[in-house]
Amino acid sequence: MSAGNAGNAENARVTTFVKVPPNDAFEVFTEEIDRWWRRGPRFRMAGGDASELCFEQDARGRRLVERMQATVHEIGRVLVWEPGQRLVFEWRGRNFAPGERTEVELRFEAFAEGTRVTLEHRGWDAIRGDHPARHGLQGRAFSALIGQHWAELMTAYRLYGGAAS
Amino acid sequence: MASSVDRTLIALADPTRRGVVELLRAGPRRAGELADALQMQKPAMTRHLRLLRESGLVFEDGLREDARVRVYRLRRAPFSALRKWLDEVEAFWSWQLDGFKEHAERTRGSTSARKRRRPGQPDKPHPRAP
Repeated sequence: MSAGNAGNAENARVTTFVKVPPNDAFEVFTEEIDRWWRRGPRFRMAGGDASELCFEQDARGRRLVERMQATVHEIGRVLVWEPGQRLVFEWRGRNFAPGERTEVELRFEAFAEGTRVTLEHRGWDAIRGDHPARHGLQGRAFSALIGQHWAELMTAYRLYGGAAS
Repeated sequence: MASSVDRTLIALADPTRRGVVELLRAGPRRAGELADALQMQKPAMTRHLRLLRESGLVFEDGLREDARVRVYRLRRAPFSALRKWLDEVEAFWSWQLDGFKEHAERTRGSTSARKRRRPGQPDKPHPRAP
């Protein structure tokens, strides 16, 4: 896990290694996202209710959505879809105004009989300064953007498993 | 604290200002040196430096050897606050990628692993919507 290069100091970057070929890694990431994406209020907009995450196709191309019982939240459009290599999609929280978006990029690289997966979450500077998603970033608003109360949990996880990634 | 992260992000949203931060990481520099290194007109650089000062990322003071020489230096605190916040974003994704890794290796990792899957679970992912 590393913090990206210094020129992209405002981006979040995480790397993991997975023991499957790049094409499989890409397929699992996209087609099976609902099976591995964490459930519960910390990780899904539906909170404790049932929801399904999926990359789906519509008239304008591909998009990532979370389907809930009565509503569908479009997390973002897919900007780059290169199976086995690269995936870029927009990331919008439920409190984002139309037109406001951040961007998530994944790179899949063959590495030691497996795949190195690098994820970069960028574009925070494009969200206006007084946006709720950016206001009180250390606390509640960021929780509304991505999850809730997971920070302590994450710290524990990092201490436990950080070396593995 | 939050507004400081906001200001930091806004300040870093510009390639020239990121360049200034990069240069100052190596050590203090005069405004003129920064303008030259980034091939910028001095008035434009002055505006960028003002924004960086106001956002608290840099400050101006005298050189230790000669206080008359004004140089810019980085302030550590805003970067620490930004780093702390990005750590949380990274923690979120690292938690997700851990789930991804576990799932991928369990379902695709090896033939022996496949046998351990629950009956009824399809061997291949669901077909994509057209």
